[in-house]
Amino acid sequence: MFTLGARAQNKQILYDFNEIPQSLNLNPGMETDFKWFAGIPFLSGISGYAGSNNISVNDIFADDGLDINLKIRERALNVLTPKDEFSSTIQLEYINGGFRSADPTIFYSFGGYLELDNITYWPQDYASLIFDGNADQLDREYDLSDLKSRGSMVNVMHFGINKRMDRNLTLGVRAKLYSGIVDYSTSTNKGYFRNTIGQNNRIATTLSADLMLRTSGIEAFDQAADDDAVSSEFIKRAFLGGDLGLGLDVGFTYHLSERTTLTGSILDLGFMHHSNSAKTYSLEGRATVEGIQIDILEDFANLNTDFWQNLVDEVEAAIPFNTDTKSYISFRPTKLYGSIRNDFGEPVGNTGGRLDCNCTVGSSGGGELRMAYRNSIGAQIYMINRPRGPQVALTGFYTRRIGNIIALKATYTADKFTYTNVGLGLNIQAGPVNLYAMADNLLSYRNLAASHYASFQFGMNIISWGAKK
Amino acid sequence: MKGVCNLIMVFFALALMFSCTDKQDFNQIDDLEITPTYETSVFYVKAQESIINRINGVSFFSQDFNFDAFAEPFFANRVLSGVLTYELENTTSKPIEIILEFLDENENILDTEIFRTDAAPTSTLTRDVAYGPTGKNLEIIRNTSKIRLNATNLGDNTSASSLPDPAIILRSSAKFTLEVR
Repeated sequence: MFTLGARAQNKQILYDFNEIPQSLNLNPGMETDFKWFAGIPFLSGISGYAGSNNISVNDIFADDGLDINLKIRERALNVLTPKDEFSSTIQLEYINGGFRSADPTIFYSFGGYLELDNITYWPQDYASLIFDGNADQLDREYDLSDLKSRGSMVNVMHFGINKRMDRNLTLGVRAKLYSGIVDYSTSTNKGYFRNTIGQNNRIATTLSADLMLRTSGIEAFDQAADDDAVSSEFIKRAFLGGDLGLGLDVGFTYHLSERTTLTGSILDLGFMHHSNSAKTYSLEGRATVEGIQIDILEDFANLNTDFWQNLVDEVEAAIPFNTDTKSYISFRPTKLYGSIRNDFGEPVGNTGGRLDCNCTVGSSGGGELRMAYRNSIGAQIYMINRPRGPQVALTGFYTRRIGNIIALKATYTADKFTYTNVGLGLNIQAGPVNLYAMADNLLSYRNLAASHYASFQFGMNIISWGAKK
Repeated sequence: MKGVCNLIMVFFALALMFSCTDKQDFNQIDDLEITPTYETSVFYVKAQESIINRINGVSFFSQDFNFDAFAEPFFANRVLSGVLTYELENTTSKPIEIILEFLDENENILDTEIFRTDAAPTSTLTRDVAYGPTGKNLEIIRNTSKIRLNATNLGDNTSASSLPDPAIILRSSAKFTLEVR
C-alpha cells in the first residue's frame, strides 16, 4: 500500500547561496533581499546528476583491450553489493518567481518544475542467478529482497512564504502540489530461492517469494502511444490529470551572532496518491519442488495423469502471479539540509553597493538591516531517507563575493559516492540579470568516464531589489 | 550583459578544458556473454517391491509421461549444454532393468538409457549423461516431449527383501547451461 520515495540531488553548492533565488527552493527560510525576481521560463533552473558509488562507466567500457566479461566479473559481480546504487535526477524549472509583500518582512515565491528521477540498487543475488545460475550452490539462499528500484516523473507546483520574524530569525514554509506523470517502484520485495538436498529426489528447489512492482501512468502512456496521443497524455498528467500529492518544505535562518548564522530546512514532507492508471504486479507464495514425483503404489490408479502439467499447476497455485489496479501511496523523498556559516571580511555594502540593490541581507523594505560580507566559511549537512537507510553528505564551503557582481562558492563534500568531491559555483549579477552555474566533483573531470558522481546546475533570473534608498 | 555571458561561458569552458576522458568503447557490449548454469531435479519414480511381486510377467511397469520441461521455449531456445544425472537405488530382492526412452511429440524415440541393478544389497548406481558439444546431441533434449519408462523384473515374484520399505527408486536431476545473451 505504501512505498517510500527516496532519490534527489544534493545541491550543496546552491544551498545557502543567498544571492541566487533558487536557493529558496532548498531553504524556504533563507534570508532574502529581493524586491522581486522572475526566472526566465525554462532557463531559470536546470539541474541534474548521475551517480553510481562503486562502479563507473570507465570500469566497464574503457577501451583497454580487456575482455568485457572479465571486467564485469571482477568489477561488478565480485564487488558490488545491494548497498551500491545507480541513481540520477533531472530537474527543469519552467516557471519561478517571487515578490515582496506590502509587509516588507514577508516574501512570497512560487514556481513549477518537472523532475525525473530514478534509483536502482545492485541486485546482487539476482545478478548471480542471471550470470552464474544456481548450479553447485546447494543451501545457498538467493535473497530476493536484493531487488530495489524506483523512479518517477512528476510536475511540482509550489508556493512559499518567507517571513523575517526579527533581526535574527527568518522562517519559511513552502506548500507543494505534486502531479505525478509516471511512477514505478519495487522496493518491498522479500523471499529467497534455494536448492537443498531433496527428501525424495536429488535436489529440492524452493521459491519463497513476496515480490511486488507498483506502476502508475505506464499503462496510460502505453494506450496513448497506440492512439498517437503521448504529448497530450503527458500534459494532462503533468497538470493535475494524473496522480496527485501534497508536500511541505520548512526552513529557517537564525543568527547566533552578527557574523555567525545557523540555517536548516526539511524538504518534501509529502506523499503522492497514485490512483490514475495504477497497476500492481505481485508474486507471492512458497513452493518446494523435486521434479515430477511418481510413487507407483500411491499413483497406480492415476498413472495416465499429466504429472508435468500438475507440477506446473501446483507451483502456479502456490505462488500466484497477480495484477490489480488498486491505488497506492508513495512518500516523497524527505531531505534535510543544515548549515553553520561564519561571515568575515569587509561588508559588501561598504564599497559602493550592488548595482541595483542596497546590498544587505533581508533588507528590502525591512527595518533592521544586516550586512553581507565579502567572505563566508562554514559547514553543511545533507541527509536523505533512502530505502536502505539514511544517506548523509557533509560539506565544507567557502564563499567569496567579488564586488557586487560576482559571488563564488567552493565546496568540499564527502558522501557515499566520493570523498574527493570538490565543487564550484559561480553567480553573476549584471544589473537585473542574474546567472548562475555550478558543477560538482571537479577532480573527476580528469577522466569523466571514471567518475562516480557528476552534477550540474545553472539558470537565469531577473532580480529587482527595488529603488535605492 | 555580453561580458556576463562570456564569464559564464568561461566557467563552462574551463570545466570542459580541464576535463577529459579515457577512450570508451561501448561496442564491447556486443561481446558480453551471459551463460548461467541451472540445476534442479527432473523426475523421481518409486516402485515398491510389493507392486513388483504382484505383477506377473517380466515387465512390471511401462508408462509414458508427458514431459514438456525441456520443450519450454525459454529453455529450448537457449540451452547450450547440460548433464542429466541419474541415481538408481535398489533395495528389493531382485535384479531390475530400467529402460528410459526420450520421445518427441510424434512418439519417435530420440534417446534411450538402460540401467541394470543387482538385487539388494547393492550400491546405488549413479550415471551422468552429457548433452551438447562433449556429449549426446542437444536436439534430443530440445525435442523431448515425453518420457517412457520401462521397468523389468529380472528376478522372481516371490522373494522379499529384508530391508525397510524395499523398492526400486530412480532419481534424476538436470544441470544445464543456457545462453541468456
